Amino acid sequence: MSWQTIKTLSGRLLIVLFLLVMAIITLTPMLLAVLNSFKTNGEIYTNILSLPTTWQINNYIDVFRKTHYLRSLMNTVFLVVLSVSGIVFVSSLAGYKLARTKTRLSQALFVVFILSMLIPFHSIMIGLVRVANQLKVQGSLWGLALIYVGIGSPMAIFFYHGFTKNVPREIEEAAMIDGCNGLQLYFRIVFPLLRPITYTIVILNTLWIWNDFLLPLLMISNREKHTLLLSTQALFGQYSANWSQILAILIMAMLPVMIVYLFIQKHIVSGIAEGALKS
Amino acid sequence: MSSKNRSLLLYCFPALLLYGTFVLYPAVGGFWYSLTNWNGLNPTYDYVGFANYRELLTDHVFHRALRFTLRYVLYMVILQNALALILAIIIENLRRGKGLFRTIFFFPNMISMIVGGFIWLFIFTRAFPFFANAFGIAILGQSWIGNPQYAFYSILILSLWGSVGYLMVIYIAALQNVPRALVENARIDGANDWQINWHIVRPLIAHAVTIGIFISLFSSFKVFDQVYALTGGGPGRSTQVVSLNIFTEAFAMRSRYGYASAKAVILFLIIMVITCVQLLVMKRKEVEL
Repeated sequence: MSWQTIKTLSGRLLIVLFLLVMAIITLTPMLLAVLNSFKTNGEIYTNILSLPTTWQINNYIDVFRKTHYLRSLMNTVFLVVLSVSGIVFVSSLAGYKLARTKTRLSQALFVVFILSMLIPFHSIMIGLVRVANQLKVQGSLWGLALIYVGIGSPMAIFFYHGFTKNVPREIEEAAMIDGCNGLQLYFRIVFPLLRPITYTIVILNTLWIWNDFLLPLLMISNREKHTLLLSTQALFGQYSANWSQILAILIMAMLPVMIVYLFIQKHIVSGIAEGALKS
Repeated sequence: MSSKNRSLLLYCFPALLLYGTFVLYPAVGGFWYSLTNWNGLNPTYDYVGFANYRELLTDHVFHRALRFTLRYVLYMVILQNALALILAIIIENLRRGKGLFRTIFFFPNMISMIVGGFIWLFIFTRAFPFFANAFGIAILGQSWIGNPQYAFYSILILSLWGSVGYLMVIYIAALQNVPRALVENARIDGANDWQINWHIVRPLIAHAVTIGIFISLFSSFKVFDQVYALTGGGPGRSTQVVSLNIFTEAFAMRSRYGYASAKAVILFLIIMVITCVQLLVMKRKEVEL
């Protein structure tokens, strides 16, 4: 074995070692959280790394009842489904038409829509709380979904606009000759053609709204309408230092996302990369 | 109005209505409130000109939050992009296990930083002291949440953990777009790995780097969840970032909506100027390459 091969081999070994260490650092917090969520508090204090003497399923049963888990899960699903379908509906209509109309008004509208993409949420939140209060949408999941559609539509319009420009007009023209009118044309012909970019938009917005915390915190105070994150945060305050139960709460809060991730991981990752590189 | 424009407005109406009500109007409103002494509780308030902005000049807590945020942004932009790029290059060159490692590193990105923050709070306050005792690693025995010096790094570690995978996925996609034939040809012509990466791959992924830096700039200026979950801005207000400072000013402590709005305007201006400069400079560089 020559000196050169030893050097490349040891170089490769170092790189793989680095990768493994990074992977372990990435996974350890999750694994420790899962492991310790099955222990008693006493066991957590004596040894973080030990296996539980008896697996405390009770931690989960307790938490399941106290967080009203199913209720907050359903609230979150309801909110996400409503918001994301709203975003897809209003943005595909607007984005498609903006790309197909070449007037000064269409250019101006497009600029108005994408202008706001640089405004951080914290700069509109005070005004937003006031508007929501005045319109009486504060405190309702329906109202919250409307707000998500408002905030989420500019980026979705940007994507639909970009995608529509690459869809040939001939298909629409042919359908028009066959007697399709405007909205019929849109629902039967155009929307199905936009499907690839719709998937990307659904993935990006679902992730954002599912994991968003500050806006629900500002809008929803009624416990019966709490999302998963809000009820997690509320219980975290109550159980201070009772880590075995807190960890069970946290694992339960992550569970839906983890399951979805394991099944459609490829689509999520490619959706994210496409979304970013296209902008 | 032409029929073209009429049907355009019809299609855009739902989006315009919601976007106008919940984004544009609050944004303009926020700027107007920043010129008033509105305190959120009183129904009436007065126009006070630039008094709020003058007060900001001497607000030490806000200045500290600004400095803390700028330092955080600087660390994040460098570390998040460097780590993401390194991981992307290593993973792309693996013969086996590409998918597995990508899955692992992207995974934390799926989790809300509120939940991730609470999990890391457990790691910093329970696991670290345990490791420090059990394996004699002194550095882990520090007060990672209670000491402002270390709390900065705790927030940084949590943020990197949660966000490196996101940029890594973008960089992997960019690397996959580099034509294989170009790399093979250079290798035949006798270029080594370093030369290939520098002269061929770098210019071709410059666009992705522009996007990566933009994303980390924009998102780290807005950092909120990580700090809220991990330190709550404490100890004292030593780890308070700008977004949390605005939030506390408006909703938690004093309900000074007008004054908090002035801070929000400043945050917006800073983000806009810095990201625009970044995009302009880096776009120009991309063309040169």
